[in-house]
Amino acid sequence: MSGAQTSALEIAATVRARRMSATEVAKAALARIRANDPRLNAFTAVTEERALREAADVDARIARGEDPGALAGVPYAVKNLFAIAGVTTLAGARIEAETPPASADATAVARLQSAGAVLMGALNMDEYAYGFTTENAHFGPSHNPHDLARVAGGSSGGSAAAVAGGLVPLTLGSDTNGSIRVPASLCGIFGLKPTYGRLSRGGAFPFVASLDHIGPFARSVRDLAAAYDALQGPDARDPACTERPAEPALPVLDQGVAGLRVGIARGHFLPEFAEAQAAVATVAAALGAMREVEFPEAARARAAAFLITAAEGANLHLATLRRRPGDFDPATRDRLLAGAMTPAAWVLRAQQFRRWYRERVLEVFREIDIVLAPATPCVAPLIGQEMMMLGGAEVAVRPNLGVFTQPLSFIGLPICAVPVWPGGRLPIGVQVIAAPWREADALRVAYTLERAGVVSAPMAAGF
Amino acid sequence: MAKHRFDDYLDAAAALLRLPIAAEHRPGVLLNLERLAAMAALVEGAALDRETEPAPVFRS
Repeated sequence: MSGAQTSALEIAATVRARRMSATEVAKAALARIRANDPRLNAFTAVTEERALREAADVDARIARGEDPGALAGVPYAVKNLFAIAGVTTLAGARIEAETPPASADATAVARLQSAGAVLMGALNMDEYAYGFTTENAHFGPSHNPHDLARVAGGSSGGSAAAVAGGLVPLTLGSDTNGSIRVPASLCGIFGLKPTYGRLSRGGAFPFVASLDHIGPFARSVRDLAAAYDALQGPDARDPACTERPAEPALPVLDQGVAGLRVGIARGHFLPEFAEAQAAVATVAAALGAMREVEFPEAARARAAAFLITAAEGANLHLATLRRRPGDFDPATRDRLLAGAMTPAAWVLRAQQFRRWYRERVLEVFREIDIVLAPATPCVAPLIGQEMMMLGGAEVAVRPNLGVFTQPLSFIGLPICAVPVWPGGRLPIGVQVIAAPWREADALRVAYTLERAGVVSAPMAAGF
Repeated sequence: MAKHRFDDYLDAAAALLRLPIAAEHRPGVLLNLERLAAMAALVEGAALDRETEPAPVFRS
């Protein structure tokens, strides 16, 4: 059993029980990628040789009677900002294509390998993770498996498309302002953005140091939790990575939601969009959530995150912006050039506001355990679409897909994006938001919703 | 072409940062400076006291 529909944990159980070898699973996944990726453009590199070598290692461990790991034989792939030994880390940029191959794996890749997972390749993204659509000028757009004319979301668009299209059951992405939650929403899958500092970013190409997170995508909550558990643990390579011991989520998923106080975010998060409203209402009704809560000044929080992102992101790339601005993706370039000129007063004020906002939001979490909010204002826009309607006004698509995610990652809250299908055809995500370090609470809620059939991540038709 | 309200700032900042802005990139950079200024105006509107120090570290 290793069809496109098979979950990561089912694959691992099959491989561990020797009903199928990791090598057979890897070959089947490679065949699916060859057959279906041309329609999605999710992969920028397929690491076939490594996949077969890692799969053979898993099979050898099993033959020797050793524990092959919780994710034995599970095919996975990573956003192309994670270092893969022997592969150039693109971070979505043509400029980076000239850099030598990475000498070592990112911590997250090494941890999944230790758990027995098998790396299939690297995935498309917005240049330098600065975008919400993965319409990459250098490597082409990734397509949404549920409608190939639409965007997959971004910046981890390839990561979401590969899972929704059943190429692999598990991928990794990164989230600075919504780059896991936005593509999870638009591709109809589960995505986890943990607490800031929970998972190591060692060997992941940075964007905005004080906002960058990494996390997994999957089509089931159990797979998502299993990947999250395998990724946990301190790491000296990432100065922001917590020293807290791992807190595994998979063992507590079936505890249900009893005892968790669930609220609905109002104010900034109450959109005038029918799909987003319907999605939140569906999830809230299933959980019996009636209480509305407010994260105060969330619009200012989004603005502050926007400023810090522009300034920090631009500073990271200042040397190349000086030398070769014409080699950047036009969608990224002008924002970075302007970001480099952001007055210090604006950035410092934004950081000061961040402290105030964090205190207020933590007060909210003294009264509530889980807050629900839409992940995106709408379902996936069309590839090439420049403008959309938001709150009665016509606004640019690219910066506004993150309007509901940005105020939350701004203060590092853990969030699981869960997929809802309000109109049946195209998905939209709901953010299940927990207090800092309470990832397991968000995952318990997601699992309860999944078991009740309220949220689901079916593979796209035709894949 | 009418002078943009950030034309002078762009030129001064570009010189200070040694960050040349090509003519074809200039309209896009000005547009993005406008967006940043709008965001900054929002943040400036928040009432903060001087004891509110920045803290990008998160504890429960």
